[in-house]
Amino acid sequence: MTRLLALVVFLFSIFWLVPFLISVTGRWNFYFTLTSVALLSVASAGVWLTFYIGRINIGQGAFALIGAYVSAILVTKAGISFWVSLPAAGLFAGLVAVLIGLPILRLRGVYFAMITLVLTEVVRLAALALPITNGAKGIVSIPLPSELSIFGITMIPDFSTMENSKLAFYYAACALMVVCFASLYRIVNSRLGHLCRSMQQNEELAASVGVNVAHLRVIVFAISSFFGGLGGAMFGAIAQSVYPSSFVVKDSIDFMLNCFLGGLGYVFGPMLGTLTLYFGWDLMFELGKYQLLVFSSVLILLILVLPNGLLSIRLGWIRRLTR
Amino acid sequence: MIRRNILAGMTAALALTAVQGTAALAENPVLKIGFVGVTSGPAAAWGISNQRSMETRAAWINEIGGYKIGDVTYDIEIVSFDDQKDPKRAIAGMERMAQEGIHYVVGPNVDNGAAAVRPVAEANGIMYFPYAFPKELYTAPASNAVLGMVANYQSGPAIYKYLMAERGVKTAAFIAANESDPLSQRDSGRAAAEELGMEITSANVTYQVDTTDFTPVLTPVIRTNPDLLVLSGVSPANAPQLIRSARELGYGGIISTETAQDAQVLREGAGDLANGFISVGGASTPEIASDMMKEFVARYTDMFGEYNDESNTKVYALEYILATLAADPAGIDDVEVFKTAMDTFEVPNPYMKGDAVMRYVGMSSFGQRRQVAVPLVVNVFQDGEFETLFVAEVD
Amino acid sequence: MEQVVANGVYLGSQYAMIALGLTLIFALMNVLNFAHGQMYVIGGFVTYTFYGQFEVPFLLALLMSCATLAILGALIEKFLFGPVIRRSAREESTMLLAAGIAFLLDAVILLVFGEKQRGVPKIVDGVFNWDFRIIMPYDRMLICGLAILSIGAFIAFMQFSRTGRALRALAQDRTAAQLMGVNVNRYSMIGFALGAMLAGLVGGLLVTITGVNLGMGGPTSIKAFMMVMIGGAGVISGAIAGGFILGMLEAVGLAVLSQYGDITYLVIFIALMIFLAIRPHGLMGKPWG
Repeated sequence: MTRLLALVVFLFSIFWLVPFLISVTGRWNFYFTLTSVALLSVASAGVWLTFYIGRINIGQGAFALIGAYVSAILVTKAGISFWVSLPAAGLFAGLVAVLIGLPILRLRGVYFAMITLVLTEVVRLAALALPITNGAKGIVSIPLPSELSIFGITMIPDFSTMENSKLAFYYAACALMVVCFASLYRIVNSRLGHLCRSMQQNEELAASVGVNVAHLRVIVFAISSFFGGLGGAMFGAIAQSVYPSSFVVKDSIDFMLNCFLGGLGYVFGPMLGTLTLYFGWDLMFELGKYQLLVFSSVLILLILVLPNGLLSIRLGWIRRLTR
Repeated sequence: MIRRNILAGMTAALALTAVQGTAALAENPVLKIGFVGVTSGPAAAWGISNQRSMETRAAWINEIGGYKIGDVTYDIEIVSFDDQKDPKRAIAGMERMAQEGIHYVVGPNVDNGAAAVRPVAEANGIMYFPYAFPKELYTAPASNAVLGMVANYQSGPAIYKYLMAERGVKTAAFIAANESDPLSQRDSGRAAAEELGMEITSANVTYQVDTTDFTPVLTPVIRTNPDLLVLSGVSPANAPQLIRSARELGYGGIISTETAQDAQVLREGAGDLANGFISVGGASTPEIASDMMKEFVARYTDMFGEYNDESNTKVYALEYILATLAADPAGIDDVEVFKTAMDTFEVPNPYMKGDAVMRYVGMSSFGQRRQVAVPLVVNVFQDGEFETLFVAEVD
Repeated sequence: MEQVVANGVYLGSQYAMIALGLTLIFALMNVLNFAHGQMYVIGGFVTYTFYGQFEVPFLLALLMSCATLAILGALIEKFLFGPVIRRSAREESTMLLAAGIAFLLDAVILLVFGEKQRGVPKIVDGVFNWDFRIIMPYDRMLICGLAILSIGAFIAFMQFSRTGRALRALAQDRTAAQLMGVNVNRYSMIGFALGAMLAGLVGGLLVTITGVNLGMGGPTSIKAFMMVMIGGAGVISGAIAGGFILGMLEAVGLAVLSQYGDITYLVIFIALMIFLAIRPHGLMGKPWG
């Protein structure tokens, strides 16, 4: 019951309260920041899922970049609607994850972390070298998402005719975030999630009791990368441009840090972590050249106080809601 | 626990000084000009030289009583946003500028940032002055971006032409970092050189920006023995090392680049080996610097401890914005007026001796006036200082 | 060919030194120190300040770098990593702390040393040229020699000194070492200080050749991770092997693949991924890295 209530409160806040507060205070620029938080937390949710099977994933930037390129190429070269290209981008990223995951998921610990980090750089260099990505010049002037209609009924209006596409992107990103975290929650509390937990504890033991470990970890990695692809594709649509450097190693590391900061033991950890890290930086804008100094000091203090993530804070009701 | 208190105290103190720093302004109405660029991380040097030249100029203007636009005298405030060279942050920065009601922004510093902020700038009526070269940004239908410097596809041909005529250069090799900006610059530089009839001996060697030893990178290039070695889009950090490695490998030809460099960095990093190195600069060499330029350098050095020669090309954007606004004060809240004013705008260039003018150019490259007419000053490094090789104009 | 080998040895020696400090810290406390590159940069700037600005003798400036970083490393271990490791549920969480420290050091470097590329005068002039088959400036040969010497000294220290033995025991089995009477907290701190000192030493050595700027930190850390992974995490000999292999790979790769241009590094990185996929623990790593 409390969970349902919390969900309603949460949905109410992001879809009504936040826009209301923004229109009252006139801080319109927060729309983009919060849109970014929503999209980055979707990608971070993927990273969190790989943590759930005991793998440190520093390769989400690669899948975000793949997603951004797939969507951009489908929209600009094949003329497909953005709303079709969005799931396609996720699926393609997932497919790549299956192909790459089969060999590399045998690795563990820092070795897996390292190989995924190298993967980010490989994808960036591939984007520079491949003809279809337009190399160093990137893909620019991507049109805004067009109308989506099913049986003649407009489901999503054309973004380019809208007066405020910021708001539209905000709603779209939040909707995406809600769907992704809902499915993440579902996965974690399903049989699959149960198996994942057994893998996280001890992979050999899980295998010995009949869990198809190899199969399972590829599926999880594919879902994780699917999230990364979605987030990246949406970002490409907002920036209306994709470059090989749109997502780089730094982004991959940031996605991982979001998970750590929010807390690896909590489904909603990546969301809170992203909000704190990304929004926190923006809020410290006034500090000028001391921005990075203060930001990193606060970050270190947070870790010292809450080494297991923000959600590990000892407040009973939060714990009940998030586990 | 004590330690945490100390840290918290430090944080609060820093926050306080920062707030004071931005709040202390005189009684004139304030005109805010934005800067969105990279001021931390590996490419910090680009944005910081940019931001500091704007802040130096703004402080100078405020000290002498403000800048007169129409009937009102304004104090100038620079609002800077660090985009960390990340296009996502750059968008946030441009949104922030729109939030602050700013219509004129300098930056971003790189291609992907400049492309990413375009939708925001166009939606919010912001003119922005990127230091990025893609032509799509400046050709119609895009109309809110103004190239803040000379593009390499403009300076490159001028340099190559000069070297072919004066030094008998016939062959050239290009080397670039494997990132978007340098690779694009290499490709356009190569095309320009080929058009001029130069023979290209090597143009496909690339390096990672984090390379610490350029000898293996350069060895195959030097083997082709070109008359001219072009370091396309080289960052000031890499330039001295590349020069040093090339010379140590026994390369005797000319080395050039189309980006701005800093004499101090070259002096420290390559010493005498950098003699004869050709780069594009601004107007600080003694031959052409006006008294105003000299004062700017002095004030910059005073304010920040050390001058950066990259700022020579970056002093202009703010000056252009203010002077164009003065030409038609209605432009302050309406960029369309500003755009109209751009077509006819022409004032003397205060930073250069002689009768150079500031005006908007770019008709031949972009089909519309979307570039500031920075004098194309080609410098050569000699015994620790830059000397002007020749000065040209972009049209 | 001789040139390629010479380049590889030179690159390998500096890489191996960078990797050594990282792997030592990893072996002792399972911390993947993202701030290693920043420590290297600080080492470079300290040597720059003393040798380049104040004209102190080079070796003395180098000692200053080592001392600064050793103290910094000890403080970081005592006040930051130590407490967090004791209290965190999953030890990977220290990665966030390491990244936070990397940001902090980046901010401090920017504020203290500025944004410009810095370099110092050459310590020796001249270029060794063997009939154009091997071209190598003398200062590089000197630095390469010093690097190999320091690696040797470090190995000897780990093998034969009392501290070194304690550190090795700690790396092998923390609990057992504790039971044998090794003061774990004290030696963790010493080990971290030693690792940081190595970063400072190599930073100071290399500033004479490559110079230093604040942006070198992150990429250096990442390169160091690669070497550590190639050799095997947490093994001293692995780090040295990894450093030399990456150095050779780069030298050979650039020589062989240069005509393919843009994809040179793509091929090198893909080769690295394939290698790791085949040897999941690097050359000689412990399986539970």
